[in-house]
Amino acid sequence: MPGLTSESDDLAMVPVSPDSQTQPVVIYPLRHGLKSQINRLSISWACGNTLRVSVFPKPPQFDTADGSGDGEAGGGRVVEVKLSNSGDDKEVDAARWRRIAYGSVTPFALLQSRKHSLSAASRMSLDNPPYKAEWWEHVIEYSKEISSLLSDRKPPPRSIIEDPKLVVNEIAEPMCLKAAWELLEIFYVDKQSQSWIPERLLDWLADNNSLFSGTLPTIHSKLVDFQQELGGVQVVEEDPNYWEAMSSALAVGWLETVVKLLRLHGSYRFDQLASRETENGLVEAVAVLIYKMPRMRPSLREENLGECYKTKPDFLKAWEKWRAQISKLDCSSYWFQCDHQQTREGLKILIQIMLGNPSILSNATFNWMELFISHFLYVRPFTAGLESMHNLAKKCMQSKPVSSPHKLFGLILGILGENTEVVLAECSRSFGPWMMAHAVELLTAGSAHAEILLHEEHSKLGGVSIEELHRLVYAQVLSSHALTWQIAPIYLTSCIKQGIGLLENLLYKQPVQHSQILLKSVEICRLYELDTISSNIMRIAGVHHWKHGRKGSGVFWLQQAQDEFRLNRIAKQLFDFMGKSVSDEGFKQWEGLIELLGSESRTAGGLEFLNKYRDFRRSLLQVNGDTPTDAARNAAEALVSLMKNPSTPQRFWLPLLYDSLKLLNWQERLLLNVSQTQLLLNKLQELSMARLRPDFVEADLPSDALSSVRLALATNLGRAILEE
Amino acid sequence: MDKAIIDLEEGTTCTAWNYSGHRLAAGSTDGTLSVFDSTDPASSVFNCSSTFKVHASGIVKVVWAPPEYGDAVACICGDGSLLLWEEVVEDSELPNWKLCKCFDKISSQVLDVQFGVSHTSLKLVAAYSDGQVKLFELLDPFELKNWQLQAEFQNVIESVSKFGNVSCRSASIAWNPLKGEIQQSSFVLGFNSDMPQLNSSKVWEFDQDHQRWLPVAELALPTDKGDPVSTVAWAPNIGRPYELIAVATSKEIALWHVGSNPDPDGRLSVEKVAMLSTHDSEVWQMEWDMSGMTLATTGSDGVVRLWQCNLSRVWHEQAILEPTS
Repeated sequence: MPGLTSESDDLAMVPVSPDSQTQPVVIYPLRHGLKSQINRLSISWACGNTLRVSVFPKPPQFDTADGSGDGEAGGGRVVEVKLSNSGDDKEVDAARWRRIAYGSVTPFALLQSRKHSLSAASRMSLDNPPYKAEWWEHVIEYSKEISSLLSDRKPPPRSIIEDPKLVVNEIAEPMCLKAAWELLEIFYVDKQSQSWIPERLLDWLADNNSLFSGTLPTIHSKLVDFQQELGGVQVVEEDPNYWEAMSSALAVGWLETVVKLLRLHGSYRFDQLASRETENGLVEAVAVLIYKMPRMRPSLREENLGECYKTKPDFLKAWEKWRAQISKLDCSSYWFQCDHQQTREGLKILIQIMLGNPSILSNATFNWMELFISHFLYVRPFTAGLESMHNLAKKCMQSKPVSSPHKLFGLILGILGENTEVVLAECSRSFGPWMMAHAVELLTAGSAHAEILLHEEHSKLGGVSIEELHRLVYAQVLSSHALTWQIAPIYLTSCIKQGIGLLENLLYKQPVQHSQILLKSVEICRLYELDTISSNIMRIAGVHHWKHGRKGSGVFWLQQAQDEFRLNRIAKQLFDFMGKSVSDEGFKQWEGLIELLGSESRTAGGLEFLNKYRDFRRSLLQVNGDTPTDAARNAAEALVSLMKNPSTPQRFWLPLLYDSLKLLNWQERLLLNVSQTQLLLNKLQELSMARLRPDFVEADLPSDALSSVRLALATNLGRAILEE
Repeated sequence: MDKAIIDLEEGTTCTAWNYSGHRLAAGSTDGTLSVFDSTDPASSVFNCSSTFKVHASGIVKVVWAPPEYGDAVACICGDGSLLLWEEVVEDSELPNWKLCKCFDKISSQVLDVQFGVSHTSLKLVAAYSDGQVKLFELLDPFELKNWQLQAEFQNVIESVSKFGNVSCRSASIAWNPLKGEIQQSSFVLGFNSDMPQLNSSKVWEFDQDHQRWLPVAELALPTDKGDPVSTVAWAPNIGRPYELIAVATSKEIALWHVGSNPDPDGRLSVEKVAMLSTHDSEVWQMEWDMSGMTLATTGSDGVVRLWQCNLSRVWHEQAILEPTS
């Protein structure tokens, strides 16, 4: 994405160009809006590239000598600074940027998975011819998909009746990002178009010329100006702008525009046709020549003119024939019969352009890029190879120097100069982390040097490659926003060295008290098998809910986190609570929680006790005076089982027995046999011994509790012995 | 680009964001703490959810406890006392902030405090104005009131004898921001004191075998060992084979690589990889971003500086954020 401001660097980038340290440090304003003087700043990073700065003003007494202050309340302010652009740029608003971010995920992920399966099939090397060819296809597909994503603007509805005076027909607003992507595609990916790169550049310039209009004089802006003027002009051929517009358009190969303009020539008008026959013939002859211009390319776009030749010999033959026709026309005697001076001179200029007259081409073009294209078309149509293109570009730049070069120019020069470092630096500086993360695939596919440069692991970068570094940087940009962080994992998991580490940090920073975010985070953890971090975020959620009164949620998430340490602590808290009070009301409050705690069998022994205790309490609550004996017997069984269980805490023994007095004194029949009674008596004995220890905690029971239990047990034992 | 998100009360002196950046605690000169919350995680609209009096004297610094232990803050107050406050809900009421621990102030003042986390224990390290360092351990993960003093020592590499009568102006602590349970917990600590031996930043690591804290690295060149340290910051490590720690002194901001394998003496290898100019100003705060690739610093020059390392391993100033009304 473009930088902080449209002209400046993006802070999210990690600079590639080695000379970056010599550049002056960019200073950005931090607009806080406070009137008072600033005393101090405090900084904190939020997720991704978001920096929060607390601005503290000077206390009022420092403002004025009399201590009255400046009248404004001296409160500070917290300012959030997004250090990577995601929508404040003029070209890409926030919603569009998110659409691009989301739209590029699928092509990227698909390409990564294809890379994996291909490198697995080819045993780690994509250089073997069959795999390489397949890989090319995948990269081309990827490139086209991204490219169409960048031009998702719908063209305005076309008028059914075509306006004959409409010269500049803009069907879609071009975008620098897309223009840059297309350049990379032309030079690095689309191998089939290698032989007709000049023609592709011509198309590219035709699509994107308006991008330069803001900073440079361009043919596009010239045509737009002329278009406005056209409505008011009566005799168009007498307007010098008419001829200038046509020669400029012809210079960069916008043939259809030129032909359209030529047909506006007054000699075509019915009332003048007879008197200006020769003149009209010349105009039409030039138009026909333009129509027949040979083009070395497989096909033309729908609206374009010219004749296509796929092979060089065919093209050469046609070209020579065409040039001969132009020369013939140039020397024709008809010119002497043409009375209209402007027409004669204007057409002659058009002919000179087609004959490749360098000074005329230079006059007809406004910047070096246009001149460069015009040379391809009319002077050196067989220019091939980056080196000769680069030399030509340098020559054109010398004759048309620019004071403030456009960011796309830097990229073109880097590509033509075969300097991967410059290409990377230009992409990074002008188009930001999105471009870097996605364009690397094009560069590595198209250049062996780029591949080595981008895939080499650098110990100075902590062991990551430049490719990985850019993905990490982009993922961090995505992390900065609540609506895009969810797609960062796709990019992070494609980073073998440090991606998972950053993903863990990203997940750890999610506000998991919001259940949707928690669920999303847990899902991401499950997808990438991040068990530790998953437990961690579920633990955070569990503790948060527990401490904020949502005990059930708390226990649930702690169980999901398998945090036995904390669950045992909760179980202990329940013991403590129940040890204090075994009232029915208190029990009801905790019953559900025990249910929840006990639902996981792997939790520690303490919870087993809680479950048994719950069963015992339930059966005891059912026992009253007129209960059938069976219920009472069940309660007694539960009691014995509880007392036998080694995990039952000692401090529960007496309360349990005391609560069970009615069972021990059950009149109808005996509920405990001899051995059971003896077991309980032994426990009582053990308890008496334990009371001597200093750390013994006395249960909160009536003072006669112990003696009444002992009496009941003794009576019970007597009855049992008699019965047996 | 830059957007004001919270207006702070008059008298606010310090702020701290929680782990996710969705809660802000702001301490004030009158000893009140305000907590700001965003209700919707996708928005950056914050409302003050609680304001409460923490202490009679002003709050100097606020530090959030790790989220594994709830929503709690440690406040260092103007008189040097240290208090822990926690947000809890009791008996289905609204969330309420409660004092859960007041660390007794005996003779010296607390200068800095930081929490270190592992999933079974929470540690708190506090640096005092008399040059002492105390480590407390939480006994019960749900009870932030029960702390046990685990260790007490001075920030010296060779503990020959204890230095008395030390006076420290400030101290800075940073835990290793690691989030696993595999590695030992460790932290770095530097002082600004009148005792040169205490000043230089040392990395302390817990020795499980002997149950004690040991200094494993000293982050200062032999000539700079007495330089007072104003602040330290330990970078998150997402996969580097070494740790990265920033140490600011009055001279410079130094970046150190600290190796992970100890030598036979138990010391870690250290390498000073960068010296960043502080432009003759004092550095008060340094913060690493979540990837450990960008360092943000601020200090007496009143601007925020952002530092990054380029591909030639050169650390340089990438940008400056300058406050303007």
